[in-house]
Amino acid sequence: MKYFVLIIAVCCLVAGCAAPQPIPVKQTPAAMEEEQMLWRRALEEQDTINGSGVLYQDAEIEDYLNQVAEKLQINSISPDISFQIKVVKDPNLNAFAFPNGVIYVHTGILARMDNEAQLAALLAHEMVHCTHRHSLRTLRSIKDRTQAETATVRELAQLLGVTGSIASISGYTRELETEADRVGLDLTVKANYDPREVVKLFELLKQEIEIERIEQPFFFGTHPNVRQRIENVNNWLAEKYRGKITGIKNTDEFQSRISRLVLDNARLDLRQGRFFIAQRTVEKFLTVKPDDARAYFLLGEIIRQRGRQDDAAAAMKYYEKSISLNPSFPEPHKAMGLIHYKDGEKRLAKKYFESCLLLSPDAADKAYIQGYLKLCVTNGEG
Amino acid sequence: MAQQRSLKNLPNNDFSVEIPKGWSKPKYTNKYLITKDGAFLQYVLIQQRPIDLPYSHTKKKLNKKMLPQEAAGVIIDEIASDRRIYNFNVIENAPAVIDGHEGFKILFSYKDKKGSTFKTLYYGFISGDSFFNLRYNAAMRHYFEKDIADFEQILSSFKVVKDKAALEIALDR
Repeated sequence: MKYFVLIIAVCCLVAGCAAPQPIPVKQTPAAMEEEQMLWRRALEEQDTINGSGVLYQDAEIEDYLNQVAEKLQINSISPDISFQIKVVKDPNLNAFAFPNGVIYVHTGILARMDNEAQLAALLAHEMVHCTHRHSLRTLRSIKDRTQAETATVRELAQLLGVTGSIASISGYTRELETEADRVGLDLTVKANYDPREVVKLFELLKQEIEIERIEQPFFFGTHPNVRQRIENVNNWLAEKYRGKITGIKNTDEFQSRISRLVLDNARLDLRQGRFFIAQRTVEKFLTVKPDDARAYFLLGEIIRQRGRQDDAAAAMKYYEKSISLNPSFPEPHKAMGLIHYKDGEKRLAKKYFESCLLLSPDAADKAYIQGYLKLCVTNGEG
Repeated sequence: MAQQRSLKNLPNNDFSVEIPKGWSKPKYTNKYLITKDGAFLQYVLIQQRPIDLPYSHTKKKLNKKMLPQEAAGVIIDEIASDRRIYNFNVIENAPAVIDGHEGFKILFSYKDKKGSTFKTLYYGFISGDSFFNLRYNAAMRHYFEKDIADFEQILSSFKVVKDKAALEIALDR
């Protein structure tokens, strides 16, 4: 029964139906006990995430994200928190922070960004969840409002997990999210980033949510809703930063640093069957790296797998472009072979399958290709 | 000695299969799921799925014109996109013939949220408007190897009963 009451309370909290009481940042013995529990739980959850194969392993990108976080932290109220930014292989638009300063950012949200100022806006928001102790405040709010004095801190911490985790995977209340937006905007400005990019990031993602009818992502979710957040930021910019709206974007450096991740994320979007977003992402990548054979191959794959009328012919153009840019890249040879094979053009199919196996004798799908080749020959077109 | 029990008489499906001794269908599921020691340790799941039925984790769909390799790709994408699946690793993806139908087999391993490791052998093929699949899932340690022979026996007994052409090929073998 105690758990049931607490679960209801947690659900109310996440729905944003009441404001948690702010607590002083100053440490108290009780706060320390609760916070230590939260941090221990955070470490357990991080161990699970880190060992689950979902991390995007790229030390250069991680370094870059941590450098941006360092620029923001200089002006934060808790310069003692050791922030650590990690990337999760997930095409969904999300980022989440643990109270101990470990922040996970999905490849999906990074791939949609245009510049470093937008990255700074995202990181600043998540960092405020840590510096302003939003997990602890949420925990205390649950305790206060359920009058569940008998519940141990561990039980409460477990209940936080009911809503997502100790991290803000499922978002905090409206008030805490608004605070993270407001203070995050201040950090972004103080680090000399162009604050107008905060609004652009919101708008970019709002547009994508609508196009793909994506399940509401938590970072830009309903606490408060995206439109309200855009309005808030515009109001803050007008009130507080009128006449001072300038700053850097670092577009070229950002795009150069994360280009590989953008392409990798497009593969994840393709895996989930989000053809439009995957295509748009690869096209964006090609504006930065116009001679990338892998990108043209991926574009061909997106079109071919989408499977609309005439898509096979359109895909072949991208495969041919990919082969022309890098003749030793085996994948487009196989894709060309598949299209010809399905069209009954066994002679052409055979040519491409053979070149694929020549370039990649140990291809993971060698057994399939050998099967196609056998049928190309037995059909009398060998 | 195979137990003379068939799932043939279960409604709305066009296949039959022989279940080896010791395997049974738990009461809690209405799926064609059978297990020996409990579904957490090992199970065999047999499905006949409308080909255009959407998947839960990928928006990709199967279609009649797909090659087995393409169908296998959709299944891999569906499993890999499932957030409950961790450390997903395809060990083998190869063509296979099931009851005379050109299909595929995928061998993969994964971990669940609690860190337990499982191994799955997944066979599938498209026939008419249906996608048929048979999968054997078991705890990687001990159980997978222990009961794989039973699954192979189930697989070899599998017949699409409404597909007469395929049945004739199977009987000729």
